[in-house]
Amino acid sequence: MASINLNTVVKRYGKTEVVHGINLDIAHNEFVVLVGPSGCGKSTTLRMIAGLEDISGGEIRIGDVLVNDLPPRKRNISMVFQNYALYPHMSVRENLGFGLKIAKRPPDEIVRRVDEAADILGLTELMERTPAELSGGQRQRVAMGRAIVRQPGAFLFDEPLSNLDAKLRVQMRTEIKKLHQKVKTTVVYVTHDQVEAMTLADRIVVMKDGHIEQVGTPMEVFNHPVNTFVASFIGSPPMNLVPARIAGGEVVLADDTRLPVPGRLAGRVTDGQEVILGIRPDDMTPVGHGIHDSGEGAMLSLPVELAELLGTETLIYTRLAGQEAQGKMFDPRDVEPGEVLEFRVALDKVHLFDAGTGRSVRLD
Amino acid sequence: MSGALKKRLSKIATWIATFLLMIVMGVPGLWVVLSAFRPNREIMAKPAIWIPENPTFSNFAAIFGFGDAQVAIPVLSYFTNSMIIASTSTVIALMIGMSGGYAFARFRFRFKNSLFLGLMLSRAVPGIALSLPVFMIWSKLGLIDAKLGMIIVYVALNVPFTIWLIDGFFRQIPKEMNEAAQVDGCTRWQAFWRIEFPLARSGIAAAGVFAFLTSWNEYALASQLTRSTDSKTLPVGLMDFTAQFTIDWAGMCAMAVIIIVPALILTFLVQKHLIAGLTFGGVKG
Amino acid sequence: MRWRAEKHTPFLLLSPAILTILFVVAIPLAFSLYTSMTPYKLTKPDTINTFVGLRNYVRLFSDDKFWWAFGRTILFLAVALNLEFILGLGIALLINRITWGQRTLRTMMMFPMMFSPILVGFQFKYIFNDNIGILNNALQALGITDGSIAWLVDKPLGMISIITAEVWMSTSVFAILLLAGLFAMPRDPLEAAKVDGCNPWQVFRHITLPFLMPFAFIAMTIRSLDVARAYDIVDVMTGGGPAGRTEVLWTLIARVGYDNSKMGEANAMAYVSTLLSVAFTYYFFTKLVAARRYMGGAE
Repeated sequence: MASINLNTVVKRYGKTEVVHGINLDIAHNEFVVLVGPSGCGKSTTLRMIAGLEDISGGEIRIGDVLVNDLPPRKRNISMVFQNYALYPHMSVRENLGFGLKIAKRPPDEIVRRVDEAADILGLTELMERTPAELSGGQRQRVAMGRAIVRQPGAFLFDEPLSNLDAKLRVQMRTEIKKLHQKVKTTVVYVTHDQVEAMTLADRIVVMKDGHIEQVGTPMEVFNHPVNTFVASFIGSPPMNLVPARIAGGEVVLADDTRLPVPGRLAGRVTDGQEVILGIRPDDMTPVGHGIHDSGEGAMLSLPVELAELLGTETLIYTRLAGQEAQGKMFDPRDVEPGEVLEFRVALDKVHLFDAGTGRSVRLD
Repeated sequence: MSGALKKRLSKIATWIATFLLMIVMGVPGLWVVLSAFRPNREIMAKPAIWIPENPTFSNFAAIFGFGDAQVAIPVLSYFTNSMIIASTSTVIALMIGMSGGYAFARFRFRFKNSLFLGLMLSRAVPGIALSLPVFMIWSKLGLIDAKLGMIIVYVALNVPFTIWLIDGFFRQIPKEMNEAAQVDGCTRWQAFWRIEFPLARSGIAAAGVFAFLTSWNEYALASQLTRSTDSKTLPVGLMDFTAQFTIDWAGMCAMAVIIIVPALILTFLVQKHLIAGLTFGGVKG
Repeated sequence: MRWRAEKHTPFLLLSPAILTILFVVAIPLAFSLYTSMTPYKLTKPDTINTFVGLRNYVRLFSDDKFWWAFGRTILFLAVALNLEFILGLGIALLINRITWGQRTLRTMMMFPMMFSPILVGFQFKYIFNDNIGILNNALQALGITDGSIAWLVDKPLGMISIITAEVWMSTSVFAILLLAGLFAMPRDPLEAAKVDGCNPWQVFRHITLPFLMPFAFIAMTIRSLDVARAYDIVDVMTGGGPAGRTEVLWTLIARVGYDNSKMGEANAMAYVSTLLSVAFTYYFFTKLVAARRYMGGAE
């Protein structure tokens, strides 16, 4: 039961600084996901919270206790590692009970709590096996069981699903979500997979190069990315980003294609400003095949380069002002390469970023 | 030549080569062992007697002082000395090696590579070259012809290689194990003893056997630093049989068997881990 | 207090090792260096206080006996190590091919490695004995020779006999490590090379051998740590004789130092042999480190 507060936390290895003064407040029982490309400092941040890396500067508090100089065992946290880190010389039961045994809990309490955790995770049948005799998904479950048995103030997950195959990953994702609903605790979860972040998080923290780019609910981060990095990182397929210039109340692309400046952003841009136009593929749909057909719109005639049928929708690869761009066709029909389609752009969903800073013009 | 025939021939060639290899490897040792169980006159016979005619234990009895031995050689004291010196130095070298190997496997620190290299190079000093100054210093310290003197030397002899092996074994254990244990409530010390040590145990045992046999087999230093039954080890004792012009072959063979047997048993027990330790520690820096 | 004094922990853990080496190896070597610059004789203890600078070294370098022993040592090592590598590679490839009894053979290979060098020496002294040795007996029984061949006395034969013993003892080091390398070898590059049209020799030359090199370097490094154990073999087999025909640096050191009590001179020679061994180890250890990096190992 704990909130976690990071106050200008810095990590340095020798002279290289890899985390540059991060501020983050995680509420009690909140599920926060740190997401970003590899090398963005998300794992280092998590390991500093765990106490596995020392903190070069700033403060970390867990449940209002300053933990900078506390060893991991005194931080009231538990952690699920990328490779699970199950103890190979112990049975599942011993793995689950190890933390309690170290804490010198009475044996009957250990048995009770281990059985409880095993029950929650469906491990009851596997208790006497060793980690080598378990499948990937089962190992994952034991690792989570080991974390919940101790009933810590916070769970830390370090890319726990990255070693599983695609199908199992989706399944375990759901299990983690359910687990959090059952065992209400603060969770800090690190992943590079934005889908995992979107599906699991109460709040997402997008990181890049040791900085936090944006903190927000999945909805906020998806619908209102603060800059081009977040816009391109969150969402699949990624947002189309096309350089443009504002002229006469219009967004003018390199090939002189013109779109009106969306009404809600009209006061945010000035004539002559260099911008980047951001359109999610979902918001660029052939006429009659969209999901946002009402509201403000604009039309673009674009040639199909390639069409990928995904089932209920078709992903259309095209070219917008010389840039590769993707649109989506819902309720698809057959499309031939070379065919010119009339795309409707949902202007009320379109983003504009300042070309110099990359920041959303909405914010200035 | 057809493919099938070619394949068969190459298979037969492989087997012949393997068979020859086994003979070359096995016969010298086997011959010594066989000779240990035959009387001296059978060994000296001309023309040679190939199959032992009168197997006997008398050679063993003789070197242990039973029966009518010509040369009474105190093999029992040598054996005891060897055991005490090799075991004690192994235990100490293992403790030092575990501590040092763990440092190399788990920590980053300044001069790490040069320190490792320095330790290895210290092992490269030839025993006979090292024996000269050690002989002079040990004489001053009264450690000549003393088990303690030998133990100290053998600890130093074994520390570098023990560190190399144990470093490799600890590296094989993911660092995450230690971290998981710490998060689970262990101190670093507890994490080591409860998780990392049990996982490296068989490797550490292999390193121990290697250290034991190095001490058990060592000759160059022991031959200069020991004098009497107080500290002489088996390899040095073996030379007792070489009198000026005659050699008691039967006695030497019997003593050789006594030196070989522990080496064979221990090697057999740990060979798998030893190979793993040598290659892992070596290849995956 | 910082709970993790990372900076000092490793040095604390290493201090027993460092102290031991300092006391038993480093300090004696320093003392040896000093002694090598005195005319110290065991029989005249006072001579240790006379400093003569490099005189022992100068005398050594103008002494034919020393150069013969030095040259013989280098030749011995060059021949023995090359033979061990080639034979070891052959044995490893052979054992890698057979499917049945592979483990048993590998275990058998360990034994010569674990034998006391003094025993190996004795064993071959026994085999090569001109009178009762199994080799001469066998040759005579097969009618190849009538007389006995003086394996350990004859000029080139003595050295060859010693090299045989050394090779018998140490080839396993190479065979075992190279075999471990072959076991660890990934199948994909081999198959890719075959598909690319390489013949078996080309596959071996361009794929297998480069992959095995780090393992060969480990073997070389391990061997380099104890090349001087050949002293035991020589000492028991011939004692450097007869008439200095098999004298190597190490037996010469023992003779000058202990038998003739000329410690100053012996220490000078010991220093030469130490530098030789250390240079040898250093060379292969750096090779090993470089190979590791090339293989993508850590650090």
